Amino acid sequence: MKLIPIKILLFILTVTIISCEDRIYPTLKDANPTIVIDAWINNKPVEQVIQITESRPYFDNNLAVGVIGALVTITDNNGITYSFNDTGNGSYKWTPGVGESFGEIGNDYTLEVDYDGKLYQAFSSMNRVPVVDSISFRFEEKDFVFPDSYFAEFWSRDLVGSGDTYWIKTYKNGNYLNKPAEINIAFDAGFSEGGNIDGLIFIPPIRDAINPIDEDNNDNFLSPYSDGDSIYVEIHSIPKDAFLFLNEMALQIDRPGGFGELFATPLSNVPTNIIAPADEEALGFFTVSAVNGNGRKLDIREIPK
Amino acid sequence: MNLHNLIPFLLSIALFPLQIQGQDKHTINGYIRDASNGESLIGATIYVQELESGAVTNFYGFYSITLEEGIYHIEFRYLGYNTESKTIELNNNERIDIELITEGQQLDEIIVLGEPEDDNVSSVQMSSNKLDIQSIQKLPSFLGEVDVLKSIQTLPGVSAVGEGTTGFNVRGGSVGQNLVLLDEAPVYNSSHLLGFFSVFNPDAVKDIQLIKGGIPARYGGRIASILDIRMKEGNSKEFSGQGGVGSIFSRLALEAPFKKDKASFIIAGRRSYADIFAKVFTDVLADGAALNFYDLTLKTNYNIDPKNRVFLSGYFGRDNFKFDAQQGFNWGNTTSTLRWNHLFNDRLFSNFTLFYSNYDYELAFGEDDLDKFTWNSEINTFNFKPEFNYFINPQNEVTFGADILFFNFEPANAVGVSNGEVRDISIDEKNALETGFYLSNDQKINNKISLQYGLRWSNFEFLGDSKYYEFDNPEPGTRRSVINTMESENFEVIQNYSNLEPRFAFKYQLTSNSSLKTSYNRTVQYIHLISNTTASNPLDIWIPSTNNVKPQMGHQVALGYFKNFGSENAYESSVEAYYRKTYNQIDYIDGADILINEFIEGDLLAGQGRAYGLEFYLKKNEGPLTGWLSYTIARTELQIDGINNGNWYPTRYDQAHNMKIASFYETPGRWSFSANFSFISGTPATFPTSRFEIQGYAIPYNQENSRNNLRIDSFHRLDISATLKGKQFRKDKKRKNEDYWIFSIYNVYGRRNPFSIYFSQADQRPFPGKVIETRATRVSIIGTLLPSISYNFKF
Repeated sequence: MKLIPIKILLFILTVTIISCEDRIYPTLKDANPTIVIDAWINNKPVEQVIQITESRPYFDNNLAVGVIGALVTITDNNGITYSFNDTGNGSYKWTPGVGESFGEIGNDYTLEVDYDGKLYQAFSSMNRVPVVDSISFRFEEKDFVFPDSYFAEFWSRDLVGSGDTYWIKTYKNGNYLNKPAEINIAFDAGFSEGGNIDGLIFIPPIRDAINPIDEDNNDNFLSPYSDGDSIYVEIHSIPKDAFLFLNEMALQIDRPGGFGELFATPLSNVPTNIIAPADEEALGFFTVSAVNGNGRKLDIREIPK
Repeated sequence: MNLHNLIPFLLSIALFPLQIQGQDKHTINGYIRDASNGESLIGATIYVQELESGAVTNFYGFYSITLEEGIYHIEFRYLGYNTESKTIELNNNERIDIELITEGQQLDEIIVLGEPEDDNVSSVQMSSNKLDIQSIQKLPSFLGEVDVLKSIQTLPGVSAVGEGTTGFNVRGGSVGQNLVLLDEAPVYNSSHLLGFFSVFNPDAVKDIQLIKGGIPARYGGRIASILDIRMKEGNSKEFSGQGGVGSIFSRLALEAPFKKDKASFIIAGRRSYADIFAKVFTDVLADGAALNFYDLTLKTNYNIDPKNRVFLSGYFGRDNFKFDAQQGFNWGNTTSTLRWNHLFNDRLFSNFTLFYSNYDYELAFGEDDLDKFTWNSEINTFNFKPEFNYFINPQNEVTFGADILFFNFEPANAVGVSNGEVRDISIDEKNALETGFYLSNDQKINNKISLQYGLRWSNFEFLGDSKYYEFDNPEPGTRRSVINTMESENFEVIQNYSNLEPRFAFKYQLTSNSSLKTSYNRTVQYIHLISNTTASNPLDIWIPSTNNVKPQMGHQVALGYFKNFGSENAYESSVEAYYRKTYNQIDYIDGADILINEFIEGDLLAGQGRAYGLEFYLKKNEGPLTGWLSYTIARTELQIDGINNGNWYPTRYDQAHNMKIASFYETPGRWSFSANFSFISGTPATFPTSRFEIQGYAIPYNQENSRNNLRIDSFHRLDISATLKGKQFRKDKKRKNEDYWIFSIYNVYGRRNPFSIYFSQADQRPFPGKVIETRATRVSIIGTLLPSISYNFKF
């Protein structure tokens, strides 16, 4: 169960403007590079990409160096193998044929990465996904956080039967909303397994978390959507291990900052489902998703004020 | 034989060997009170010159001393009060109630602590500090608000996770391991505004005692410390009041006799008023938004006759945050305590306590009734606590009693409504019964050696009806899954634990003003505060020990040297060393889900802890300049399978060096000044070594997989304050009222003390295909100097 954090934190920050932050440059311990396999595959009829890179010092602000020369395949439980081609920069690609897409709901998949004589493996399954029925907009008058704003909401019902896990990805004008605070995951129609909210329309904090939180140059919040903006919402079915990974990743990278740090959890390593050979180490995650999406363009004349 | 006779009878049999034969003996007993308002004086000394020894009053100001027939010169002493002497020809039992008169005109001129003059050296209790409200009020405080809990952080062995955090850590214990008692009733969350202010209204507090080690057998249920807060009794002589206007709260306390010297009450309230101002200037709080916190404290007492007194006290406090009319959260404590002091006979004092304590919080989100989420959680405690003090003779004082607690936990009553469809996701209530029986004796072997030895037997029953679970046993550090669900009947005992808790303390008087003390205690804790964030927060819940969660246990040994010096014990000093070993300490798996989780036990880890340290304390009691210095060098570590590769790691509040100086300077005129300074060496934090990207997010990675592997910078801060008393005379007539202004500055040199360092992506929206910038940010909770003014009055 996580809280609807944005409004609470903003509220608290406005009342406790006495906290402050400084960027610092601490010296960190040295570490060896570790292989990182970033393999999130889905059934959209587009090119599927697996990135293989190496970890690097935390403050290294250069692009990650790709691992080249690996043999990368995904095999399903019927023995069908998908080969991913080395493009020479750490990206390994599989391109579907016309009218084709990756995999089938209900199948299990095995990823194999053969690199430098070592075999890395991971397992995943393609789970069922609900339909995004529609997207709606609403107008809200200026409050102490936002100006007069248009907020979007998506409408979809969790599939009946508990244990479905999803990653909801939103695109504004074709650009994926990629801030850590915008990671939107669901366990059934709610936040967590303990919550046990099954078979409902996704609860409002999840429905609402498709709105970009951006500020202008003067740190004033902007209306998430404006006239003419388009929005596209995708639900990716993910296995439970991937849900736990994303949940943990969000805890690590979506830092509250400021006064919110009082209630932060300690830094810890995110899990991985990549199985490395004995005495080797690997990072990353392999997931296969089925995707359903829907979009809409905001025409403010259609939205009641 | 009725109950009234039975207890003394059984006792006299049980304790017969202690009763030395000899000529006729008689008992002197009574209460010692403050002459100005009738307040009981706790820990006042009754000194018998002929014996070169005596007794002290208990928590209710009662004393009893049994002597052979003869003539005695007896002094009744309490620091800050004129000593009263009496010569008594003892040939009968005597009741002597004493009212002591304060030295000087105003109590608040005395800033030394209200203890017998050499109590720190002569009493067998070690590892304990008392602060009376007058000294607490003199300390410079955050935004000028006098704070009982922050004041104890100036004492050795006491630390906190950081500024603005709830609670305190004692000798390496966690926040949830302190028993905070307000007139005997436990307070589960002692802070307002997420930790910036404590819930105790200084106008209603008489004194506080912190016990860090050598915990007497009468206390149980927590393993680190006891903070015993005693509320003031209402003025039994005349109507009086006090109050103030500060930057956060305005306060008012009224007290008066119902019946002079017989019955009185005090009622004290506080409320924050930032929201009231805000409404004038902005419309932020329009449409139902709110931000406020308040508390109300009430106590009445009635002296029925010389053998019976009753007290009824209560506390109610709440913090209220509302984003609009429907959404927000609030939390608060409620306690009520009924006590009856009864004298069975001249030597057997008893107190019967009944209390109820509740902590609850409530959240509500959602735009309307079709889409909303409401959630509340509470812990209720009901207690019955009979306690007896048997003053056998000047050498032995026996304390025994029972402590019966019934707990009712409601971890979550939660309902989600999505588009008109309702889901109740509440978690079962849990019930538990904790009982403790104890017997302890304070024994003076001779003028040099005193002992306190006791035994507490505690028993805990986790009761139905709730579901309970069996979990699997995966690799340590990962979530355990339920493999079996079991049902239980109403009040069926699902799991039972019982423990013996021996307590022992020893004092050897080296000289008239120095002593050596040692103590050992074993303590057990059956309910646990579940908090996996840096600082505890109002949403943290308490859970009982269950078939899966074992009780926490602790051993502590301490050794100390105590010495007073200077004329009239102007200086007190002590050095204490301690070692604590704890078991079944709770930590959490990574990504633990601790709120609204029926299977929370599967996310908890258990391990062992150790803490050791050396505490130095020097206090100056006399002269215009007074104050104290405390310095602690310490280490606190945990070892938990599944964290830090199973190796020992320092806790978040591990502070190698912790130094505090509190000082007060009185001028002959209307001004007085105080300052406090803190220096704390850097606390540990977990830093990453590396980064990697998954799906366009930059993730920190710590290759050693270690916890708390580096330290943040040290912390230091100076606060000062000046008090200006109002004129005592107006038009040559002495004013009846008193008033004073307090001007204070918190964090005088505006240091940006680090609270934590976090690692994150830069704020800007990452641009696909471009590198994501990673950075480290230092957070200071209060990064600037904060001046404040408050006005206070008494009438």
